Amino acid sequence: MSPGALLETAALMGLFVLAGGAYGGLYSMGRLRARPHWVRAGQACWLLAFAIAVLIALRSPLDLGWKLLILASAMVYAVIPPVTWRYLQRLHAHEETQQ
Amino acid sequence: MSTAAQPLYRSQRLALRYFTAAIALFGVMIAFGLLSAAYYLFPSMLFNVFNFNTSKIMHIDILVIWLLMGFLGAVYWYLPKELGREVAGIRAAEITFWVFCLAIALVAATFLFVQYGSANEFTLWFINQGRKYVEAPRWAAIGIVAILLVFSWNVVGTCVKAHKMTGIMWVMVLDLIPLVVVYLDAFPADTNMSTDLYWWWWLVHMWVESTWEVLIGCIMALVLMDVMGTSRRIVEAWLYIEVMLVLGAGILGLGHHYFWIGTPQYWLAIGGFFSALEPLPLLGMVVHAVYDAGMHRLRTSNQPAFYWITAEAFGNFIGAGIWGFMMTLPQINLFSHGTQWTVSHGHFAFYGAYVCGVIAVLYVAKQRVTGVPLLAGHTWRWGFGLLNLGMVGMVMALLLAGMAQAFYGRAIGGSTLMAFTTASENLWFKSGMYARMLFGVIFAAGYVALVYDLLRAPRSAALPAAQPQPA
Repeated sequence: MSPGALLETAALMGLFVLAGGAYGGLYSMGRLRARPHWVRAGQACWLLAFAIAVLIALRSPLDLGWKLLILASAMVYAVIPPVTWRYLQRLHAHEETQQ
Repeated sequence: MSTAAQPLYRSQRLALRYFTAAIALFGVMIAFGLLSAAYYLFPSMLFNVFNFNTSKIMHIDILVIWLLMGFLGAVYWYLPKELGREVAGIRAAEITFWVFCLAIALVAATFLFVQYGSANEFTLWFINQGRKYVEAPRWAAIGIVAILLVFSWNVVGTCVKAHKMTGIMWVMVLDLIPLVVVYLDAFPADTNMSTDLYWWWWLVHMWVESTWEVLIGCIMALVLMDVMGTSRRIVEAWLYIEVMLVLGAGILGLGHHYFWIGTPQYWLAIGGFFSALEPLPLLGMVVHAVYDAGMHRLRTSNQPAFYWITAEAFGNFIGAGIWGFMMTLPQINLFSHGTQWTVSHGHFAFYGAYVCGVIAVLYVAKQRVTGVPLLAGHTWRWGFGLLNLGMVGMVMALLLAGMAQAFYGRAIGGSTLMAFTTASENLWFKSGMYARMLFGVIFAAGYVALVYDLLRAPRSAALPAAQPQPA
């Protein structure tokens, strides 16, 4: 790995997770406050995370296995916030019914 | 949360002593952190008087000890509340607290005034065990095992005598096994460096990261019920999920420490794969934090605790998730390991995962002791703001310095001694070190504000409507 590629790849990997986190944060705040444009902004962050994953796959000198893992992670990132949100809603709703 | 209407249990008074010791040691840790940072700016400072290594030992070992004291205090605080009775063996717990404090004082005095000994058994037993992060001499390491055994007896004995087991207590009791057993790795066992490091990483990763992660999970579950009125079923469901994730990704994530210590090559794949999975559950926790905060519309009877809990979720994601992922794959880690880049990740991850949680418990205790129905005001915000600003600034500065080391010293220079020296003279590295010092001072100011706020009597304020009720 060249010195330049080292910093570029590391920075892209950090940004990849940051964009994923921004997706999670904005998606859940949008759902919480019923603000669809926040949810859309969150989804845009996921698109950014996916684009970064593609960029890592195309440009970085990482081995193929790691590139595939990062692309797969990007796909999993897409489902974590909505699935977690639905689970939390169901859990709280069930709790309120019990009370 | 309930206030001072009921008297404190003996174990809660013991918890207050643990909290006092923990917060005092937190200050000592910061002082030695600043001293260690100063060595990077003035390398000949205190030459032949007090060396950098000892300062670093004090900084890191005290980190481990004050957090451990914070955890023990938190468990002693919540145990009677959770099980409805005084802690079993409370007298032994009280004695071990003073033994613990005395041992810390003796070990610190040895480190400060003796520092080093000859390479023989006496040094190992009475001066320095020579194992990174657990340098305390062997007698003190045995003492920690004894303290953990008494603590385990307290927890299990209280459950038995109370004839009660909650989901949180099951997780905590099971976690006591690795808490004691894995710590036994603190004792040197092998003269082969690779084999020794192989087991030593069990101590650092499995004990400090995995076992502590489960313990703080239990503590946070109790805090969430207390501060936010979250129902037991919900916090227990999340606790089980967290335990599954720790077992699923965290245990084999240990492999990222095995990359360059002489272990077989398959650890590159195992460590990289499981470490890369670690941000996924943290993303779920961010969603959970936003959900919980939003459901309570930021209303709580204990604002500082609430904000510190929220800071923990985000700090964990950023420190462990983003900072960890940047450098976890072997091809990157080859260049980044052992640089200030790693230090940056370590600072942020520890702060996010543990420090924020312990501070939240301190505020829970403060509200209970002072008996105010609403803990709010503005003073705590200074501590919260300065500590977070200081930490973020420090980790950014360390990241900058670490990237300069990896770039100039490793990738360009090829990891030679000359390359290390050249990288240490690089402007980016030096700027990072100066910035780290500046933000370290800000962090120290935050600590002063935190202690001031914890000690001052809160102004009484009316409880706003629609407060969450304790479960």
